[in-house]
Amino acid sequence: MKELLTRLCGAFGPAGAEGPVRDMIKEETAPYSDEQAVDNLGNLVITRSGSGDKTILVAAHMDEIGLMVTYIDENGFLRFTNVGGVFTKLLTGKRVVFQNGAVGVIGQEKLKDSGELDLSKLYIDIGAASRDEARKKVNIGDMAVFYSPLGMSGENRVTAKALDNRTGCAVLVEALKKMPSEPAHRIHFVFTVQEEVGLRGARPASYHLKPDYGLGVDVTRVGDTPEPEYKLDVSLGKGPAVKIKDTSIICHPRVTSLMIQTAENNKIPYQLEVLERGGTDAGAIHLSREGIPSGVLSIPCRYIHTPAEMVDLEDLDNAVLFLLRLLEEKWE
Amino acid sequence: MFEIGTFLKEITETDGVSGFEGRVASRIEEAFSPLVDEKRVDNLGNLIFLKKGESKASSPPARVLFCAHMDEIGFLITKLEDEGFLRFTSLGGFDVRTLPGQEVTVYGTRPVKGIIGGKPPHLRRERDKKQGLKTENLFIDTGLSKEEVKEVIQVGSAVAIHRSYLPLLQNSAAGKALDDRAGVAVLLQCANELESVRHEADVYLVATVQEEVGVRGAVVATYGISPDVGVAVDVCHGDFPGALEHEVSKLNKGPAIVAGPNIHPGIGERLVRVAREYQLPYQHELSPGPTGTDARAMQVSLEGIPTGLVSVPLRYMHTSVELVSINDIRTAGRLLAYFARGINRSFVEELTCL
Repeated sequence: MKELLTRLCGAFGPAGAEGPVRDMIKEETAPYSDEQAVDNLGNLVITRSGSGDKTILVAAHMDEIGLMVTYIDENGFLRFTNVGGVFTKLLTGKRVVFQNGAVGVIGQEKLKDSGELDLSKLYIDIGAASRDEARKKVNIGDMAVFYSPLGMSGENRVTAKALDNRTGCAVLVEALKKMPSEPAHRIHFVFTVQEEVGLRGARPASYHLKPDYGLGVDVTRVGDTPEPEYKLDVSLGKGPAVKIKDTSIICHPRVTSLMIQTAENNKIPYQLEVLERGGTDAGAIHLSREGIPSGVLSIPCRYIHTPAEMVDLEDLDNAVLFLLRLLEEKWE
Repeated sequence: MFEIGTFLKEITETDGVSGFEGRVASRIEEAFSPLVDEKRVDNLGNLIFLKKGESKASSPPARVLFCAHMDEIGFLITKLEDEGFLRFTSLGGFDVRTLPGQEVTVYGTRPVKGIIGGKPPHLRRERDKKQGLKTENLFIDTGLSKEEVKEVIQVGSAVAIHRSYLPLLQNSAAGKALDDRAGVAVLLQCANELESVRHEADVYLVATVQEEVGVRGAVVATYGISPDVGVAVDVCHGDFPGALEHEVSKLNKGPAIVAGPNIHPGIGERLVRVAREYQLPYQHELSPGPTGTDARAMQVSLEGIPTGLVSVPLRYMHTSVELVSINDIRTAGRLLAYFARGINRSFVEELTCL
């Protein structure tokens, strides 16, 4: 799991440019797929035909947050905008990397007071001395992601950029490898694009695949750090979480109770999650066509949308087990 | 003939917060069942009733969708504190100023009564006052011991405000969840009227779910029904001392017929014409953007649905003492029924002629 996660987190894949991540997952899962397809927006759909008559869509997004170049000044400094939710206050001094490997550092103009800080006061320095030199490496519209490879913290915990949501991708890939040769249902594992900019990939994927049920696999916030922003009863290392609600979905009671039952029956540690801010692919899935009863399997994650997100590998292993057991349930 | 007040008392005293509408849905289903030809519940819990039109063999009947949302704003438990106090978050936007002192029902493995508490005024510091009231500083107290709480209630348990329906003078009434159970009562009134009003179109009456968290039920209900014409019924701000005249509608002066970019002019104008023709009192309401009601979801469904919006004036929105006039509800129900009477294939076709 750690090895796979290291590679997935290392891959470049901001919203709208998920190619490298998609290629990696395609290759990794080819031996375990009955069918692989890439749809019009770039979602990767891996299908396993099953014995039952139900179709379940399981979605994890491949994209990560990033920065996009808007302007290159005559001295070679790059101005940028955000792709997805980045914390402006945490950007200064961070390193970023473009798809071609060009590394830059984020610099900050002098401020009269700290409240003045916004994206217009920041720039990316890729070491170019002029606009022309910069243009040889980077163009307007190019995207960069945090330059922050995976590292171990403690026995079981890892930090990296893009754990949101390569964690979910890794859980799906591992589950796919361990799935019975004939699953109980027809399963579409969908690795979606553009979640971070508004659940955009999941929408057409769900419309096209017409599943009976939807299940998102994504990271969620935790409330176990000093003075957390929200009174959220989710901790790192206490098992995956069954989402009840976030701002994109109130999970279908039939799905959440099936999830809770599955965890209880299989003695898989789990937590219950009510997330006050944030959304995920299931928000788009459950509103497609005539409505798709949907739920979310969440992986607790600290410091979401920073260059150093943190997850507990034991939670991931439990999530894989949870997902496998869940997909073998009856889903009536 | 049904009594609007009796129905409203029943459905506003039955809980059904967004995403957990089951209880109130079954009461609504009981009331509509004798009046409709078909009924079903869709994947997200929308209650869909059909009153069939008088079929003319030549062409399929036009389909009209009338909807009102049955969910009410409420809360979800986010955390069980060690001492047994419950932390919660909002489902939809409650007026936070009115929360301390409310009685609530927490839906754990069984319903548990509780109250919302906070810091007493004596202990509030300057800093607290400046900060204002925040949901995160309030809690629910059920009186149960911490062991009992953990047995019965869990993170994600739904919470509804507990409040009796209060009939007031001049045929008005106050209570919780009148946004938008008043709209559901409008639909029932319409179903009653349609018993004696001949109509060609198939009329779908839908009590939608999850409006308060982002007009979600109406998205999938509209897709499933694929109507030719849709009208949402919701509430608008009623008048009160100090209100700006253009921001409110008067109580007991009839429903407000909405105009604006969310509304197809052909539908808005037809509603006005019907009100005039039948001498029904009505008011105008202007909504310059997307309305934030089911009408928004309907309008941009499928290939686009010509949509209207009828609003029942309501005071003190998103509190537990929302106040409406029963007369406005009755009038709105009649307006919809008479509107439905005039809908047929040729009306639908004319809507696309600019």
